[in-house]
Amino acid sequence: MKKTAGISGIFQDPDRVLAAAAEIRRAGYQRFDFHTPYPLHGLDQAMGIKRTVLPWISLAGGIVGGAVALHLQWWTGAVDYPLVIGGKPFFAFEPSIPITFELTVLLTAIATVVGMFALNGLPKWFSKWQNDPHFRRSMDDAFVVTVDAEDPLYHAEKTRSLLESLGAEQVRTVDYDEE
Amino acid sequence: MRTVTDKHRQDSWNIEGGGALAVDPHDLREPLVEGTPKPADVTETVSRVVESKPTRLWYATVTVTGALAGWGILTILYTVFTGIGVWGNNQPVGWAWDITNFVFWIGIGHAGTLISAILFLFRQKWRTAINRAAEAMTIFAVICALIFPIIHTGRPWVAVYWLLPLPNQMEMWVNFRSPLLWDVFAVSTYFAVSAMFWFVGLVPDFATLRNRAKNKIARIAFTFFSMGWTGANRHWHRYEKAYLILAGISTPLVLSVHTIVSFDFAVSVIPGWHTTIFPPYFVAGAIFSGFGMVLTLMILARKLLNLEQFITVKHIENMSKVLMATGLMVGYAYGIEFFIAWYSGNPYERFVFINRAFGPYSWAYWTMVSCNVFIPQLFWFRGIRRNLLITWIISIFVNIGMWFERFVIIVTSLHRDFLPSSWGMFTPTWVDVSIFAGTVGLFLTLFLVFAKYLPVLAISEVKGILPGAQPKHGHH
Amino acid sequence: MAALDSQTYTFTDKGRFGVIALGTGIVFTALTVVGAFTDSHMFFASWLTSFAFWTTIVLGALFFVMLQHVTAAVWSVVTRRAAEALALALPVLLLCFIPLTFGMHDLFHWSHAEEVAADHVLAWKAPYLNTTFFIVRGLVFFAVWIALAFVLHRRSVAQDTDGDVAHTYALRKISAGGIFAFAFTVTFAAFDWLMSLNPHWYSTIFGVYVFVGGFLTCMAVLLLIFQMLRRQGMLEGVVTIEHFHDFGRLLFAFTVFWAYIGGSQYYLIWYANVPEETVWFLARWDNGWKAVSMALIFLHFLVPFLTLLFYRVKRNTVLLRTIASLLVVMHFVDMFWLVMPTFGPGVHFSWMHLTSALGIGGLVMWMFWTRYTAHRAVPASDPKLADSIAHRV
Repeated sequence: MKKTAGISGIFQDPDRVLAAAAEIRRAGYQRFDFHTPYPLHGLDQAMGIKRTVLPWISLAGGIVGGAVALHLQWWTGAVDYPLVIGGKPFFAFEPSIPITFELTVLLTAIATVVGMFALNGLPKWFSKWQNDPHFRRSMDDAFVVTVDAEDPLYHAEKTRSLLESLGAEQVRTVDYDEE
Repeated sequence: MRTVTDKHRQDSWNIEGGGALAVDPHDLREPLVEGTPKPADVTETVSRVVESKPTRLWYATVTVTGALAGWGILTILYTVFTGIGVWGNNQPVGWAWDITNFVFWIGIGHAGTLISAILFLFRQKWRTAINRAAEAMTIFAVICALIFPIIHTGRPWVAVYWLLPLPNQMEMWVNFRSPLLWDVFAVSTYFAVSAMFWFVGLVPDFATLRNRAKNKIARIAFTFFSMGWTGANRHWHRYEKAYLILAGISTPLVLSVHTIVSFDFAVSVIPGWHTTIFPPYFVAGAIFSGFGMVLTLMILARKLLNLEQFITVKHIENMSKVLMATGLMVGYAYGIEFFIAWYSGNPYERFVFINRAFGPYSWAYWTMVSCNVFIPQLFWFRGIRRNLLITWIISIFVNIGMWFERFVIIVTSLHRDFLPSSWGMFTPTWVDVSIFAGTVGLFLTLFLVFAKYLPVLAISEVKGILPGAQPKHGHH
Repeated sequence: MAALDSQTYTFTDKGRFGVIALGTGIVFTALTVVGAFTDSHMFFASWLTSFAFWTTIVLGALFFVMLQHVTAAVWSVVTRRAAEALALALPVLLLCFIPLTFGMHDLFHWSHAEEVAADHVLAWKAPYLNTTFFIVRGLVFFAVWIALAFVLHRRSVAQDTDGDVAHTYALRKISAGGIFAFAFTVTFAAFDWLMSLNPHWYSTIFGVYVFVGGFLTCMAVLLLIFQMLRRQGMLEGVVTIEHFHDFGRLLFAFTVFWAYIGGSQYYLIWYANVPEETVWFLARWDNGWKAVSMALIFLHFLVPFLTLLFYRVKRNTVLLRTIASLLVVMHFVDMFWLVMPTFGPGVHFSWMHLTSALGIGGLVMWMFWTRYTAHRAVPASDPKLADSIAHRV
């Protein structure tokens, strides 16, 4: 069954994109986005995207990594099987630094990458927009604005004319197949 | 904001009595791409390499490098089934060829992370043309490096219990106070983080390739690995933050890896190894050798893959400058080590350094100094930095010199023990040489496969720095 | 209140800063010299501490200028003239070097002929560690640095009037060679003035350690100078929060680098546990020094690291100023920590440490201000100036 994904249109000029983003946001739309071949400087602010919580996920990963590393080295070396090697203390901060550092970095990296994909809802090998020829171009050379049909303000005619008034070209309604 | 800037620019043209500047201020910053390519041109140039059929030259080269890699694998199997007695290692030179190769390959990897992480943090936009290939090089170099300590354990199938803290029947744990174990964690973390960094960078480019793939297998593969990337700005927002965090943590990570490699030597009490300059000296040497290898590969790749428009002479020149700077740092370390060996008043320290320069391995020492310190001084001349052939030859010398640096550090410090009765010499066997040649073959094969089947330029990043790619107004 | 013409960047009023600095310098230097007659031993020890403190900062400025030229840095062009002027305080420090030559016996164990005769290690080092060569080296170091500072400043100022871009290229070449000369002279200066205080001890990274601390502190000092200028209404819209943000990033990077160098030096010596090396750290741990060592770890590294990590901190002038001031104080503690354990057990902070730091500092700042206000406040005709002003992080 075919359903309407929403409306999409093309921009060529990065400055127009910024202006359009600010206007669509001002008009009160929530579920709109720009598909771009590379990140545009300043588009986040223009669209009013809130700063992501990702750094806190990374930080949590790092803290876990560091804590696990310290605990592992202390417990195996000083508690479970204390063994004098090279006259070194069973546990000391100095020789624990390298592995603590490495595991902190490793867990931070994993948390960052997994967190980024999870927050973005990826991997998801289906997009409502994938049948739209604009969508294909958005990863080549065009900036594509999309307004989702589920947006409360969405109106086939009004939204279309808003986008056109902002300079979007080839504005079209996009359908997708619902399984 | 624009008007203020323009006013200042105007002022700096016509300071009283000074007249106009002879050149445009932007001439000082040569453009990073030649001509005026559009985003579609970038997609086209890079995708064409991926989508076209491999050339005869490519097949021929891969056959040669693959054969070399195959020979390496055979000799590794021979080593594993026979025992590492087939190598030239002996007492007192218990670490020799294999650890030299390990440090050599790990060092090569460092340039990739430097380019992708540190130059990113320093906003060096010229990195975008080379970071993808350099990161790939990092991963392949670390794979080559990992081979050596693993086969050096003699019985790699049980090495997992020696290297990782896994519960086992003896209820014993790995020795966390040993620098060799730090290495295990450092190198495997480095491999994992570099691979993730590389993959995250590739995702948008996979999406670009997915959208234009005609071949069914290619489309399925690119669809899968693109993770369903849509290029939505709400995604880019988190993506950029993730990239920044990865760059931020990769920077101390890359420094830590060679620092920890240097600890393998420097925490001991062996003269010539135990010296406090080792950590930064190893890091500088690693970056130096890595840039040497990047130059070697990129000068060839830009030619063979027709990327001259994006990897310009400017890029090559910048890398030559980095090579000269890091070469001088390494030279500084050689000089200071020599001075302190004398200044220490410690006869063992003194002996090691005199022996390095004038003993039985003096040929290796002077090869190292010539290749790493003397020859790169040619880069003081702009004409040489911009001459691709000479730059390429110098980069080969740097690769050779940095291999010899590790050889000199390891072998010359060990072959003269504290007691003259335990003195010895190290000579590599044919197996030693074959395995090293095999890793060179493996490295080149992996790189060739990468250069053919994956986007060799970071498509989305290059698009972002094209003239006119970014909004003129607003925040930037 | 000093004032600046916002069009030509020339100083219309030089203000009282120079006079205050000169007054401070003279009064406190005189006070310190009085101390020389009451306790000459402590006088030389504290003079060396303050001399090392200020010399490393001023050398940091010299390095900052050369680094900018070599890397063709854009963002920092607006800050370059101040760094050039600060480097021109080197002649003052040359004068401050002279008193040290009178205190060789108080400071340097190896300058006593009878000690050297009784110690074969010192006898071995005598060709290097002897008073004449020490003084000659000191003069050579200063000659190199002063020459570099003058050339870099003169060319840069010349460009203000003739606007010739050839200066930019020439300065880049001079700096490339200059950094090379700088690296070796600074290293050996650190070996001579600080490491040879304990002539049996040696560390190959010592020169880098001393240099990094100085460069870091120089960034803090420049940040404080520009905040002072901004508070007096100068360089409005020229040196902006974006530049302070970048100074914050440099402080962050170099406090980490300082900890990396200092930490790995300690680390290797701790692990190898060779008595002739560990003795140096033991002297900085026992008899009350533990507190100073811990203060260095926490206040020179951890606190700046954990605060500067955050974006908002780097864009908050009050916090930046606080951290920069902390780093300046901690660099003095660092120099104190390098110098003082040589002179017997226990932490002995003398009033002369304070007066010598203020005395030399006053003279350095006076020289800086005199040289800075004599020319335009920024390299007015540098081709990258406009881009530097418009810089965004």
